[in-house]
Amino acid sequence: MNNTLLELKNISYNYKNNLILNKVNLKINSGDKIALLGKSGSGKTTLISVLNGTIKPTQGEVKLFNKSFEQLDRKQKRKITTIWQDLRLIEDLSAEQNVNCGLLAENNFYFAFKNLLNISSFKKAHKYMQLCRLDNSIYNKKIRSLSGGQKQRVAIARSLIQGSNILLADEPFNNLDPKLITTIKNLLLENVDQNTKKSSKTTLVALHRLDLLNDFDKVIGIRSGKIFFNIKRTNLNKLHLDKIY
Amino acid sequence: MNKLKLNYTSLSFLPILVCIPLGYQLITNIHFGGFKLFQEFLISAFNPKIDNEIIITAINRLNQTFLIGFFSWLVSIIFGAIFGILSSNIFYKIFNIPKFFYSMIRFFLTIIRSIHEVVWGILLMQIYGINFSIGIIAICIPYIAVNSKVFAEQLETINYKSFESINQINAHKFSSLLTLIWNPIINTFKNFGLYRLECSIRSTVILGLFGIGGIGTSIFLSFQTLNFRELWTYLWSLAILIILSGVIYKKIKFNNTNKILSIFFIVVFFITILFSFFYFLFFIFNNNFENFNSVSSLFKSSSNFGLFDFLKLIFDTIILSLLSTGIAISLPPLVIGIFNNNTSKIFIKIFAFLLRLIPIPVILLTLLTFNNPSLSLAALTLGLHNAGITSKLLFTNLDSQDKRNYIAMRSLGISKNTSWLLGLFSQQAKSYLAYCAYRSDIIIRETAIVGVIGGVGLGWQLQESLSSFAWQEVTIVLIAYSSIAIVGELINGKIKNSLT
Ligand SMILES: Nc1ncnc2c1ncn2[C@@H]1O[C@H](COP(=O)(O)OP(=O)(O)OP(=O)(O)O)[C@@H](O)[C@H]1O
Ligand SMILES: [Mg+2]
Repeated sequence: MNNTLLELKNISYNYKNNLILNKVNLKINSGDKIALLGKSGSGKTTLISVLNGTIKPTQGEVKLFNKSFEQLDRKQKRKITTIWQDLRLIEDLSAEQNVNCGLLAENNFYFAFKNLLNISSFKKAHKYMQLCRLDNSIYNKKIRSLSGGQKQRVAIARSLIQGSNILLADEPFNNLDPKLITTIKNLLLENVDQNTKKSSKTTLVALHRLDLLNDFDKVIGIRSGKIFFNIKRTNLNKLHLDKIY
Repeated sequence: MNKLKLNYTSLSFLPILVCIPLGYQLITNIHFGGFKLFQEFLISAFNPKIDNEIIITAINRLNQTFLIGFFSWLVSIIFGAIFGILSSNIFYKIFNIPKFFYSMIRFFLTIIRSIHEVVWGILLMQIYGINFSIGIIAICIPYIAVNSKVFAEQLETINYKSFESINQINAHKFSSLLTLIWNPIINTFKNFGLYRLECSIRSTVILGLFGIGGIGTSIFLSFQTLNFRELWTYLWSLAILIILSGVIYKKIKFNNTNKILSIFFIVVFFITILFSFFYFLFFIFNNNFENFNSVSSLFKSSSNFGLFDFLKLIFDTIILSLLSTGIAISLPPLVIGIFNNNTSKIFIKIFAFLLRLIPIPVILLTLLTFNNPSLSLAALTLGLHNAGITSKLLFTNLDSQDKRNYIAMRSLGISKNTSWLLGLFSQQAKSYLAYCAYRSDIIIRETAIVGVIGGVGLGWQLQESLSSFAWQEVTIVLIAYSSIAIVGELINGKIKNSLT
């Protein structure tokens, strides 16, 4: 099964005369587990924003299921979810309300309303929060009163609850301790499913930790907005890394 | 000699220079004819008339005032929220509506709020005759537009990044909108609701002076008959109403985790919308226009006031606004700075409260007892009333401020006043000035009130033209008013932006 879900064709992105992405070509296939490497400021976050349609590239085409974002309906666009580097939670809402925001797409307006009034069911939200090792003491705490690692996990739970097939995660391990990193990594890559060994979930994770690469099957290296390599993880060697760091 | 350095602190004091021309004109206009009246007015404050009859009247009148004030507040804050959403960036981003509509609706609201509720009231009264509903409608029209600005400003604080992240979830647009605006809207209700209720009660009182009914009308009548003891009974009872509604409002906890309360608010919300909509229709179709015969009369050329007079009126109005703003900005820090001890503080607070409590026209009429009508007198009135409001804000901010700098300076043996200035006020100056910029928007609109009573500027011309049914003149005056207010709002917006 090697069908392409997301494709970038010759993407460039300029911001005030700065070339931030430079002729990027990329295919993401179903089931890919991709690690995105690159030093700080190399364009990882920008690339992810192009992939999820938040940023419109100056040049080139983005195709999701072989269509451009404009051609897709809401249901199809929902197949992508993002864990943002800067989290982008709603600070004044509680942790569980924020996680429930992930369910807004599959529910109607009344659900959004109940969520804000705190009278909706938080069962599913709590389940995902528990998966991220968030316990009931923080369920109804406001985001602004949480610790960095707790916020990080709320953002992750909000993303996972959406049940999208394509997960884009921008440095999701920030602020987490070693034990949590393993838990979260397993959640993101769905390594929990031991029967099939391979899940259909497609994941792209931007990260700085080379010791975490083992569970990925592809590695992309980016530098100054240009993709320097896009290879199987098993082929990765020191020369590759020297090119981008 | 040291040069005067322009910083936020000195800028807060400089406007007091307006007192030089102002004082000059006031002194040349002094007369002693009404000094006794003034004395009586002051003494009566401590000796209001209290008997069964007047208390019952006061309660009845207060009831009317509260009803008009409360309903105008309710309707204007709810529609203010709706128009606030319709004039906020986030709405247009979520629904992908062309920015053209955004500018249109903002422009429309700016025009509506540029005209003071008293002017709306006088206009509507002229068209429809005196009538209970006019009070509510006259307040609601500009208040909806003013509130919508407050809401829209709060909605602009929504983080663009959280908008992007909610957008990326691809929910129904209404769900995304609601989720994003929820907290800014609730916070605006919490932070500005009480203040707007107070404003609405005050406006009702002022409209009462012009005959709408309620306690304002009683205040006016007792002033007209020089019945000062009665006047003070009404004023004090108004004070009780304002304080009481503040206390009650603070008691209601806007806790959005309380389900019953939330549902109650939502029911009130929708009933108000429906009710006011039908009421408005009813009002429009059930009133016969008394004096306003046709739109064409607006353009019938019957104007007999020349361009020169007109320009002078505009000029007067601008000067009036500037002088009043000067007083409103500088007087509070000056007085609080000079009389910087606990006893004086209490006196200043009481005095400021009185300045806020007594309706502008009554202050003006009182001052007229020993001064001939002049532009300066009108400016002084408007300035004092607004100084009452700015000083309240200044006190609140000073009280909640970190006092370590002040204490450190005092312990170095620096004088009390200097430490206050450099250790306390200097840190407030910037935000104080930003608030004053907003306040001066209101002052420009309020020139209408003193204009009508004190015989200066466009307000006076408006009154004249209205009473002679010269609709073309009325239109011109309104356009002039609106233009001044809009330009003022633009300038103040720029100043405020550079201050925050
Ligand atoms: N909004 C913006 N305005 C100006 N420049 C920007 C903006 N966003 C990104 N850039 C620039 O684009 C380049 C790439 O930024 P990007 O955030 O994609 O890097 P990154 O690889 O995610 O870095 P990090 O590892 O530090 O998160 C940087 O040089 C950055 O300065
Ligand atoms: Mg980044």
